Amino acid sequence: MDDLTEASDAQLVTLIGRYDEVALAETYRRHGGAVYGLARRVLHSASEAEDVTQEIFLRLWNQPERFDATRGTLRGFLLTQSHARSVDLIRSLNAQRRREENDASRTARAGYDMQHEAWDLMLSEEVKRALAELPFEERQAIELAYFEGHTYVKIAEILNEPEGTVKSRIRNGMRRMRGTLVELGVEGADR
Amino acid sequence: MMNHDEAFDLLAPLSLHALDADVMTEMDAHVAACPRCQAELDGFLEVATALGTTVEPLPDGLWTNIASRLNERPRAVVRDAPLLGRSAQSGVIIPILASRPTVSRRMKSVYGGVLTAAAASILALGIGFASANSHVGQLQGALNVANNGAVLSALHAPNHKIVILSSPQLARIAEFVMRPDGRGYLVSSRFPRLASTLTYQLWGIVKGVPVSISVMGNAPSRTTFTMAGSRRPSSLAITIQPAGGSVLPSSNLVASGAV
Repeated sequence: MDDLTEASDAQLVTLIGRYDEVALAETYRRHGGAVYGLARRVLHSASEAEDVTQEIFLRLWNQPERFDATRGTLRGFLLTQSHARSVDLIRSLNAQRRREENDASRTARAGYDMQHEAWDLMLSEEVKRALAELPFEERQAIELAYFEGHTYVKIAEILNEPEGTVKSRIRNGMRRMRGTLVELGVEGADR
Repeated sequence: MMNHDEAFDLLAPLSLHALDADVMTEMDAHVAACPRCQAELDGFLEVATALGTTVEPLPDGLWTNIASRLNERPRAVVRDAPLLGRSAQSGVIIPILASRPTVSRRMKSVYGGVLTAAAASILALGIGFASANSHVGQLQGALNVANNGAVLSALHAPNHKIVILSSPQLARIAEFVMRPDGRGYLVSSRFPRLASTLTYQLWGIVKGVPVSISVMGNAPSRTTFTMAGSRRPSSLAITIQPAGGSVLPSSNLVASGAV
């Protein structure tokens, strides 16, 4: 089998464009856990998260040209798709499931690319910290949108606030977090 | 039709997919034609990506399901004739390795004692080095362990060095202070807690070779070490090892920094 463990993400996508299954397998190994983890967090369902993950990687296989390396990382591209699909699903199901608090996100395990997992954990911890430092109203609006899959209009309804206020809270919170992540030196935050 | 100001106002909700489907479609059309909105959206998407970063073990069998469906549908677009890669082979499932090889090329070069290779790998991970005194106050503030007299003393010692360890993703993951006599102390760190079967291990790179300095435990808060004489390291590095530590690093570097 080709050794692609040292290939860049952009090289992998180029190879996927040439029907290279090994490249897709390597992409899955690098980013599958993140794609699945996000889908699971939004959907609160392991089986639906598996469906989303499968769909995202098949889409990458069938349409690799949709990834534009000049606009961000492959990880970002895949997570954006995973989130969008999960939100679609949760809205179409029209059901909010009970949250499964999963300690897996706080404890690194052996067997999965430990140093990368540690980096992901560190990033995850820093983001949680940055989120926790936001004013409550901004944090609440972002969490309701991102993790619960609500539109900002729906959030305004839930919170009994004007739509414009919720929109501003999301924007201000996102800008503030971006600033914090840049300060922390998180890669790509200052793009 | 949405004008620019209206669209710009909705970019943050768009990055979180917090818009109704019809508005999202309108926004996509606007953003595709508006470089300013595109740049602003990309910035928000970076934050959304960071928000979505979690660590979940992948379910068994998921890759097999994906691989078995790779040939179900013809490609929508065929861009290039295959040059380097192989054509999709029906029925052949590429196995997923559970992890990268236990010893990376990067670390193999260190084992080989090639100083330049080690230096290059450390550089690739992002080196931070600050010479001392200006950071003392800040570092003292970061100290949150009891009985930190030795660390405070080192921070006030003349000619001490601060070694900042960074990873490709995060700057300043850990900071050590090193006294001129070779004694060193962990001042602050933000390593996540590992499972109890694992430990962080600190290495000194001495003439291109990793030398174990300290097994730091799965949630490091206090680490002290001494590296004197000819064993002065040119850089410090941290790996994750099985609990109890290892004689040689068996995984890639989690963080590193020049001394």
